[in-house]
Amino acid sequence: MRKTRLLAAAMACGISLSLLSAPALAQEKTGVKAGFVMPAGGTRIVLMRPSVRVGAQSTGGLFEPNADWTAQARENLDAAIRKAQGQLGHQVTPYEDGTGAADSLSNQYRGLFTSLADSVREFQFFPGNRLPTKKRKDSFEWTIGPEAKNLPGLENADYVLFITTEDHYGSAGRKALQIFAALGGVGITSGVHLGYAGLVDVRTGELVWLNADQQMGGDVRTTEGAEKRVSQLLEGFPGSTIRSASAQ
Amino acid sequence: MKPITLIIAAALAAAPAYAGNSLIPAGRTVQVAKSAMAVTPGSEWNKLGRRPGTNGEIWTLDGDKLNRVTFYGGIAQDTTLFREVDRKNSPLPRFSQTMLLTDVPKLLENSYRVALGSALFTIDQMEPARFGGVDGIRFTYSFVAGNQEVQSKGEARAAIVKGRLYMISYEAPALHFFEKNVAQFRQIADSATF
Amino acid sequence: MIAPLCRRGAAAVALLAGLACGPAMAADRAALPPYSFAYEPQGVDERGMWMMADEDERILRTSSFVIRDEELNAYVRGVLCRTVGEDRCRNVRVYVMRIPQFNATMYANGMMTVWSGLLLRVQNEAELGAVLGHEFGHFEKRHSLNGFKNKRSVSDVLAWLGMVGPNAGLSASLAGYVYSFSRAQETEADLIGIQYLASSAYPSAAAPKVWSRLMAEQDATAAGRKRKVRHSYAAGFFASHPTEAAREAYLSREAAKYADAGDPGAEAYRKGIAKWLPQLLDDQIKLNDFGGSEYLLDQLAASGGSADVTFARAELYSQRGNPRDYVTAAELYREAIAKGCDRPEARRGLGLALLRTQQSDEGKQALRSYLEFRPDAPDGPMIKSLVGN
Repeated sequence: MRKTRLLAAAMACGISLSLLSAPALAQEKTGVKAGFVMPAGGTRIVLMRPSVRVGAQSTGGLFEPNADWTAQARENLDAAIRKAQGQLGHQVTPYEDGTGAADSLSNQYRGLFTSLADSVREFQFFPGNRLPTKKRKDSFEWTIGPEAKNLPGLENADYVLFITTEDHYGSAGRKALQIFAALGGVGITSGVHLGYAGLVDVRTGELVWLNADQQMGGDVRTTEGAEKRVSQLLEGFPGSTIRSASAQ
Repeated sequence: MKPITLIIAAALAAAPAYAGNSLIPAGRTVQVAKSAMAVTPGSEWNKLGRRPGTNGEIWTLDGDKLNRVTFYGGIAQDTTLFREVDRKNSPLPRFSQTMLLTDVPKLLENSYRVALGSALFTIDQMEPARFGGVDGIRFTYSFVAGNQEVQSKGEARAAIVKGRLYMISYEAPALHFFEKNVAQFRQIADSATF
Repeated sequence: MIAPLCRRGAAAVALLAGLACGPAMAADRAALPPYSFAYEPQGVDERGMWMMADEDERILRTSSFVIRDEELNAYVRGVLCRTVGEDRCRNVRVYVMRIPQFNATMYANGMMTVWSGLLLRVQNEAELGAVLGHEFGHFEKRHSLNGFKNKRSVSDVLAWLGMVGPNAGLSASLAGYVYSFSRAQETEADLIGIQYLASSAYPSAAAPKVWSRLMAEQDATAAGRKRKVRHSYAAGFFASHPTEAAREAYLSREAAKYADAGDPGAEAYRKGIAKWLPQLLDDQIKLNDFGGSEYLLDQLAASGGSADVTFARAELYSQRGNPRDYVTAAELYREAIAKGCDRPEARRGLGLALLRTQQSDEGKQALRSYLEFRPDAPDGPMIKSLVGN
């Protein structure tokens, strides 16, 4: 039971379970609403301000935020997202932060999306922990509710895209430690790379597609890396031909 | 069993124990929270493998962050509503037999304030309501968990029977989710028997 | 950062020489070094801190935990400005948070959070200024940046040691180095904080009082929870802050050195937070900390407590709910009402307390009066059911 509780605690804290990558815990990472087909071309997608954090993980495991990397990553990711979507003929516009009430509501929706994505990851993508009512057919029934269309700024949108990424790159010291530890049979991960990308249908509030990954590839500090990350985040994006450059 | 067998059995049990979510079918009467309380849900639910405390049980449809029904099956004198995480530094308030029904919302409020680390908790309404065939209370509340920005709403029914507290609560984000399943919760609460 | 439970905020201001814009000091006041600000963070570490802080502030601006009361915010900011001086406080953004713990934080980009629990624990403007000045001291001394760089190198060493094998002695002394470094920072911030106070119109003697009361409150909390009262008078290796005792001692010494007089602004402070006092009290007594809460209420009562304080004490006793507590609570509710507490809840509390001390008729009468005061009471139907027809 102790192990179980530890596992539950780890999940509650959002700690990467890939550390315990036993086959039993193998995790799915993409879900699409059954029968969903992305209309071809001309789709208006609003991109919520992505939460992007990039820094290094020093030998001791501390996260060192790095503004240059973060700014670079944000720029690269924005460009890569536009490029990826532009190729499909979709029109992607960033969500305009308003003032006061609208801001607070968009904040609520960002929070709700995270709760939703967490739930999909915990209760759908982990087959062993799937909720019995979510096990049927190709069931992927998740929503933030049809009221989302009332969020100011979404009047002319067809879909909302939510994106979260956090990267801790391993420093040279940590990489060395990793090799040293491997010799001694101790597992130490170098770097944390997690991300969610989710597409919500504005009219219905339904989550039509979600990609949730705790070990993403692509060095977002470089243009190519960001493109690789976006292709990975948007892997399996409905109606897309984007393929992951390579999964790590 | 020999020790080694025990260890293997424990190891085998460990993984599925967390993955012990089970289906609660519609229309069948089930005992809940390891207690004398029983309910007959009108629709199907998922029962989570993890419990909030010895006398607790959680049901959900989409995950407990999105909709959560909690059963408190006979909280005894001088015990907490759910498991204490840090008994030394953040002890939870305890149920006392001297409590009146009007004290129950405050017991839940103060337990949540400590457990969720949030002062954003308000009791909205309370009124008498039959629960499990006895005189009880129905109340509503709203809260935001610490470090989160999701406004949640809650509704609960409670009664004190033979010095023990029985309660069923329902909680969900105020955006969309609360309204979506509140009727299903009320049906469950209406079906409760002790 | 003040309390041990705090999250380390970041403080960084590039101090460039030659941009003096400090005010002229009164001759009998402590002289502060000239203050300059250059709002361009330098280097990768510092820019990273700013970026994180900016993102935190973006989230904070719409947070449900921020108390959006312009009057209260302006008041708290005013105390900061009167403590550190107008030039220093110009670029600070203050956010008052609804968090009932003793704390304040200062971030690298000039964002300061002041927790509501702090407002309940200081008795005058000078004490509030002492704490806010301490936070500002971290900011002015760029502590988060130095602390961060230092933590990085030492945690690297610890990771390697962990690999080589457990060597408790060595690891502990390294850990001691990290934490004592941050203790030195805390002390430095304390000392600059009291210097601000000494150079302001507030008396520096207010600073040590905050710490002596905090110690007494912690003792009261422990006693209330039937734990051993154990105040450590020497900070251990792993304490990132000086003990309150040490703090009180050196701050008292400093204050004696400055020997500055001044009005601590007790009356102004009471007025400044009066509107929020009932809320602050309510949040405190719901923390399930009878001993600590009672100590705080005693302090507030001693400094001319209002009917709100008496009402809060009544609520505290009725929440604990031992049979004798209801007798005490009923007396306190009556006292609050006599003092002019016009909250209908005082009648509700009185009624419920009386019902439990077998004074059924009087109890029902008080509850009826509650319903008259507040016909739309959210618990009206419930209370009616207790009163009967």
